[in-house]
Amino acid sequence: MLFGAATFFGGDPAIHGWAMATAAVVAASCALVGTLLVVRRMSLLGDAIGHAVLPGIAIAVLAGGRPGGLFVFVGAVAAALLTVWLIQGLRAAGGLAEDAGAGVVFTTLFAIGVVIISAAPAGTHIDPACVLAGDLTFIPFDTVTIADRAVPRAFLAATLSFAVLAAAAVATWKLQVFTAFDPAAARAAGVPVAAITAGLLAATAVATVASFDVVGAVLVVALLVVPAAAAELLAHRLHVMALIAMALAVVGACIGYLAAWHFNTNAAGMIAVVLGLEYIAAAILAPDDGVFARAFGRLRLAWRVAREDRLAGVWREEESAARGRSAVAAPSLLERCAAEWLRIDGSLVRDGGTWRLSPRGRRDAETVVRSHRLWEAWLGRHADLPLDHLHPPAEWVEHHLGAAMRRRIEVETGWRQSDPHGREIPPEA
Amino acid sequence: MTLLGLPYNTLVVAVGVAAVGFAAGVVGSLCVLRKRSLVGDAAAHATLVGVAGAFLATGRRDLATLLVGALSAAIAGLAALLLVRRFTRTRDDAATAIVIGVSFGLGITLVSGLPAWGYANSAGLEQFLLGHTAALTAADAMLLTGVACFATVVVTLLFKETTLVAFDAAFAAATGWPVLLIDAVIVGLVAVMVVAGLPAVGAVLVTALVVIPPVAARAWTDRMSTMLLLAGTMGLVAAVVGVLVSAAWPRLATGPLVVLAAAAIFGISFIAAPKRGWIARRLRDAARNA
Repeated sequence: MLFGAATFFGGDPAIHGWAMATAAVVAASCALVGTLLVVRRMSLLGDAIGHAVLPGIAIAVLAGGRPGGLFVFVGAVAAALLTVWLIQGLRAAGGLAEDAGAGVVFTTLFAIGVVIISAAPAGTHIDPACVLAGDLTFIPFDTVTIADRAVPRAFLAATLSFAVLAAAAVATWKLQVFTAFDPAAARAAGVPVAAITAGLLAATAVATVASFDVVGAVLVVALLVVPAAAAELLAHRLHVMALIAMALAVVGACIGYLAAWHFNTNAAGMIAVVLGLEYIAAAILAPDDGVFARAFGRLRLAWRVAREDRLAGVWREEESAARGRSAVAAPSLLERCAAEWLRIDGSLVRDGGTWRLSPRGRRDAETVVRSHRLWEAWLGRHADLPLDHLHPPAEWVEHHLGAAMRRRIEVETGWRQSDPHGREIPPEA
Repeated sequence: MTLLGLPYNTLVVAVGVAAVGFAAGVVGSLCVLRKRSLVGDAAAHATLVGVAGAFLATGRRDLATLLVGALSAAIAGLAALLLVRRFTRTRDDAATAIVIGVSFGLGITLVSGLPAWGYANSAGLEQFLLGHTAALTAADAMLLTGVACFATVVVTLLFKETTLVAFDAAFAAATGWPVLLIDAVIVGLVAVMVVAGLPAVGAVLVTALVVIPPVAARAWTDRMSTMLLLAGTMGLVAAVVGVLVSAAWPRLATGPLVVLAAAAIFGISFIAAPKRGWIARRLRDAARNA
């Protein structure tokens, strides 16, 4: 059996609690760092660092460091910074595109790490399987005693690194935001952009090493990027995004752990799957940017356009009748539905075979027709279009002009009373 | 029968993997020039789901079955990438990372769970993670050789079209070439080669097979045809070195060794290549400043 955690440790709730808590804290650390990586378009650098810390960890362990200890942390951070230095060096010295450079560097470093571990003498504290998918099995049993309680060492390390990362994030948040959204302006304003970026990379390395025992080197990218990307769909402010990302990560880690327990499989893989489901849910259900919200928004717009077109259509029929003509386009099916709705709504009245406008319907219809004809007047004055080209753009814009915009166009066009076709522009209601 | 002190089977497998290395270098060149170096990585990490899924669905463990599953999953992973790009405002780099992380997580979940779910004979699937050629048979090697030949022949037949799109997609579109279709062919070939590289190099590292040799070859030449041949040859050498070293030293997985061999070729190319190499650049800079 290559992967651990397939055989769980009986049913002792305390042991499961410790393993789950460790996974949750680690996931929160990664989500915090990942938020900045995602908005700075450095997601794949996070992936590269996740793979590339392996040789740093392996060498530090071979040199006598204890997994989870400070020495191993230093080795991993060094490897992470080496990765970034190599990728940037290849670009500067060899003109290599960043993704190609990353593809060369992280695969090479990861391969070095795997070879070191495979060649290491038996009994070394690193298991090649754990490298790929983590191993929570032994975490609850390697404990230290604090205030008469046995606390797993990995949980302490995870909590400590989370505290350090959170403190660093709070202390440098404004600078991080400034650097993330406008690095050029930040540099001009005296922000040490290079140091901020290096700090973020070091933080990525710390979060990666802290989660190494839990998820391994390959799956850490799921913890770094997936909750942050889901949170980005749900939030419009960076600190809100970071908090949502951490919440999603903690929930995903707990549910993933429990599901892995239930299905008797690897916890890290299951956590990644649950985070993926969270992302899919966010992509579908997000209040502003979700697939549903946007489809609903488009439907609502189509319905409003149909209602407004029908009202304006009835208004034009009345106008044509008054001028002794009757050349009006037949309403579409959607517009006929809209007419029925407007009758219930009280904007239209059915009078024998024809529709008439109620006072309220007339006011709404005149607003639409006014928008339409004002836009035609503006186009006729500024766009130098032939007369028969004015109608289609106005037909589209009429649904989007507010009262303030209509007033400005009225001023711009010199308070004209008629549109370029010579028809009257109704007054503002 | 032995040659150079190596058993027949090792030699046949070495030939098959060498063919895969060659074809991966050729196909990867197109992808690197198209600036899509990491598309293969998303496909590669998704393959594990397909390997486990094919085993679950058929109960068989022969290479052809598992690789068909892997290819289906790779294509599904790329489709997921397209869906994320089309329907969300998640940027491309994050979308790629999501597909890599989540699909690999699902694959790990399945592969780890199989024994506990009563599939006792599932051992061996995990060798697709880091690659392990010792278990390959001569028939498997023939299959890999066939796939490699297919990919190479497609690139040869579509050399003009793929080169044009790889270098200047905007010009190709403006002159009426079906850029989308040609792009799909390039990405599809990368998926095929990633899958063919799985048994030898493994899901985690197989992307190196389509990225490192092309990048190394690019340092030596400005001609497309030369670059393809050179990248293919470098991939072939790296694959053979990896297979032979892991045959001599069975504790090591094949994949990392192939990658290290490719990385060594890259290092030499990056430093020593005429004109584009690091030494040549430094000399030019020195001459300019003198």
